[in-house]
Amino acid sequence: MESKNNLQEMVSGSQEMKAIFGGGVNNAVIGLSQMAGQEIKIVEMVVKKVLVKDIPDMFGGPEALIIAVYLEISGKSNGHMVVVYEPRVAFELVDMLLGQPNGTTTELSDMERSTLGEMGNIMGSFFLNFISDTTGNRFLPSPPAVMMDMAGAVLDAALANVLAYSDSTYIIETIFGTNDRQVSGTFLVIPDPELEGL
Amino acid sequence: MVTATTDVMKQEKDSIVVGMGEYAISASPGMVLTCIGLGSCIAVCAYDLVAKIGGMMHIVLAQHQGSDTSNYSKFADTGVPLLINEILKRGGTKEKLIVKIAGGAQMTVAPGLRDTFKTGEKNLVQILYSLQKEDVGLKAADVGGNLGRTVKLVISTGAVIVKTVNGVEREI
Repeated sequence: MESKNNLQEMVSGSQEMKAIFGGGVNNAVIGLSQMAGQEIKIVEMVVKKVLVKDIPDMFGGPEALIIAVYLEISGKSNGHMVVVYEPRVAFELVDMLLGQPNGTTTELSDMERSTLGEMGNIMGSFFLNFISDTTGNRFLPSPPAVMMDMAGAVLDAALANVLAYSDSTYIIETIFGTNDRQVSGTFLVIPDPELEGL
Repeated sequence: MVTATTDVMKQEKDSIVVGMGEYAISASPGMVLTCIGLGSCIAVCAYDLVAKIGGMMHIVLAQHQGSDTSNYSKFADTGVPLLINEILKRGGTKEKLIVKIAGGAQMTVAPGLRDTFKTGEKNLVQILYSLQKEDVGLKAADVGGNLGRTVKLVISTGAVIVKTVNGVEREI
């Protein structure tokens, strides 16, 4: 099972590899549930190969306003994790996490950024812990970066590394949400192309 | 004013979106070339005022990597000469070229990140260097900062219009 080595193979490889990744994503959402004190479930999880330049279209096009929490993955191989919300949804999530009435948060100041960053921390750590435990390889998340801007702008720096070597990439798109409050977001994992031999 | 509005609408119909690593060149008066949602990427716009031909390139990274030769427009070092030469091939002249660039933002500053988010700065440096090597001057730039941009090049006039996420639109 030496092929459990890198993220790219986990996403593109056998069913077993995909199962490991799926377990990681599941664990990330469990982490979010615990933090929010409510049940948050995975609505849909898809592993797919997409053209890198089409990724912003998943969020309403490159000019659509989004809030994204970004973490880098480093370790045996590198990659990116991005949790993407519509701004309205991110504000609701902040209210939920801070125990405030719905509608309190209307913009991103330090407190809101910090809250969303912590959410990213939790999801990233829960995800990578699962992957590390299962594969025996260490993967570490970077500190989170919280951004609110056009989807294309937020994603292009992260995608630039991928686009340098390939026009397409495997991604894991996970849509999660609660039963009552419509907190839904997308958890994206993008592995860096393997650089061996270059 | 009414005419202006109609003009814009007509132009919007004839527009090309230049995606990551792509480029477009046009001499059609009604055409508008657009790069939407630029973060660290940079839109290089080159326009020949006399021949009324313009091109736009959506540059992603500074230096060409790997052995693929079909993707020169992704990279500043290979893309800038490509864009200029393609315009010259279609009747432009180097002396008449007006080059304007926009983009290259640093979307976030966070401790501990690899240099992913310095991409914009590296792109900018390489573009300036490549332009100098091609002996083409830079007329205007709206670069850096931490806001995303949408950039338009109006082929009829050569105007370069930059819009940021807060809706502010200005010509550079």
